[in-house]
Amino acid sequence: MLELVGVRHEYDGRVVLQLERFAVPPGTAIAVVGPNGSGKSTLLRLLALLERPTQGRVLLDGAVVTASRAARRRVTLVEQRPILFRATARENIEFGLQVRGVGRAEVNRRVENVAARLGITPLLGRRRHELSDGEVQRLAVARALAVEPDVLLLDEPASSADRAAAHTLYRVLAEERARRPLAVCLASHQLEDAYRWADDVRALADGQLSPVTPENLFRVELIAAGSGDLKHACVGTVEIVAMTDKTGPAILAVPATDIFVSREPLASSARNTFQGRVTGLTRRRPGGGAVHVTADVGVELIAVVTEEAVRELALAPGSPVVFSFKASAVRVF
Amino acid sequence: MDFLAEGFRRALALLFSGDAEVYGIALLTLKIGVIATVLACGLGIPLGFVLATRAFWGRRAALTVVNTALAFPTVVLGLLLYGLLSRRGPLGVVGWLYTWQAIALGDLLLALPIAAALAAAAVQGVDPRVRRTAETLGAGRWRTAWTVAREARFALAAVITTAFGHVVAEIGSAMTVGGNIRGQTRTLTTAVALYTSQGDFGLALALGLILLLLALLVNVALQALQGRGHA
Repeated sequence: MLELVGVRHEYDGRVVLQLERFAVPPGTAIAVVGPNGSGKSTLLRLLALLERPTQGRVLLDGAVVTASRAARRRVTLVEQRPILFRATARENIEFGLQVRGVGRAEVNRRVENVAARLGITPLLGRRRHELSDGEVQRLAVARALAVEPDVLLLDEPASSADRAAAHTLYRVLAEERARRPLAVCLASHQLEDAYRWADDVRALADGQLSPVTPENLFRVELIAAGSGDLKHACVGTVEIVAMTDKTGPAILAVPATDIFVSREPLASSARNTFQGRVTGLTRRRPGGGAVHVTADVGVELIAVVTEEAVRELALAPGSPVVFSFKASAVRVF
Repeated sequence: MDFLAEGFRRALALLFSGDAEVYGIALLTLKIGVIATVLACGLGIPLGFVLATRAFWGRRAALTVVNTALAFPTVVLGLLLYGLLSRRGPLGVVGWLYTWQAIALGDLLLALPIAAALAAAAVQGVDPRVRRTAETLGAGRWRTAWTVAREARFALAAVITTAFGHVVAEIGSAMTVGGNIRGQTRTLTTAVALYTSQGDFGLALALGLILLLLALLVNVALQALQGRGHA
């Protein structure tokens, strides 16, 4: 198990991450979500032993670890904008195996195998300037999977990928986890993917684990709207009204369970009513329980409804939908 | 202008006549240049790596010292070295004063900060993700450094070229600690200075052309070593 305990990390005196405990148990799939600048990449770099926390400890299987080569060989990070070395794609994938002294035949077998699974075999002879951002990202994942780490850390691994490539990536990760006890910790802003794929979804906001569920988390500038505590904040192309005494920079969270879902606008006291279209329905457990409805209402919002509500409202990807919530339901940090 | 044309004619004649003195001076310059450059880069490039990649107490001060040493006047360097190597100096027992070894030592001290400062800049210019990627893929310290060096190989080749260029073009220290002794410590630059002052412009120009030719050959050799330069 890989753990951060009592970690506080600073850049130039500014606290960027503060976590009492963050654990990645063996074989688990964890998604870390949060807005840009929330500390996701820093968290992954600390877990990857590429940076030493200003305060606190990193534990691997209960023992404090530093940036030793042996420990690093068990944890591999794929950065959000990965870089390929000045070599062919094949040589890049071979790199981690060569530093481990793996024999040539085994190197070839693993490279061919991982390339075939990720659909990048035709790219193996190319150099980095001949590859698109999405192809570089897939090669970087292949390079990390080839060394078969115990913990794989992925920072927005599908940010440059099209839908099909992202699907392939998640399928390959699922196959790898089924084959061996691989723990994956993935930072993503795509909540739908996070919920579909991860066992555990955790939210980061301003370098801290958020106490609320991670859906609908936004970094905003709160502007006073007349008298009282009603404040406005622009998020995407919509304006969210929140009840708070704060102004200026803040993190807004709209609890997914506090959003009313309807096909037509409701006559209600809700200050926030947005029309849009359903972009996805996610069921954590097939055949029942809560359904996460993702909709583009000018910004991506997620609401949680029951299976019955989905049926009654005939919700399906592409169908029109109205999301409503009260100003007092909006959490401000 | 006539004396210039005459100088060029004399230079070409000397170059193609196989003049033993001219070629002796050129070979000595090449020997000193190669030895000083190899030593300076062998020490300076790893030092540059350390300065660029390791966080340690006094790193900023060390960088300042190295950068300041870039502008160290070669005559002053020669003077200090003369003091150290003279019979009464702390290194007088070595007996190197007025030998080619003294010139090589002066050139080494001149080129060392150049190699260190430019190597540090070259390594700092490499995308930090290269280092992180090598580390996260399990590379140890040396393999990581080698990977970073491969990414910076064009800039590091320029470090070697620059160091060699400074070494073979240096005159202040070579004159002071070498003494410009015919057949022993006369290098291309000290010979050029001597023959110019004696009014033998053709010989001075011939030696100057050989100096340029040496620099050109070293550049061509380094470019060949860099390979075809794939990204």
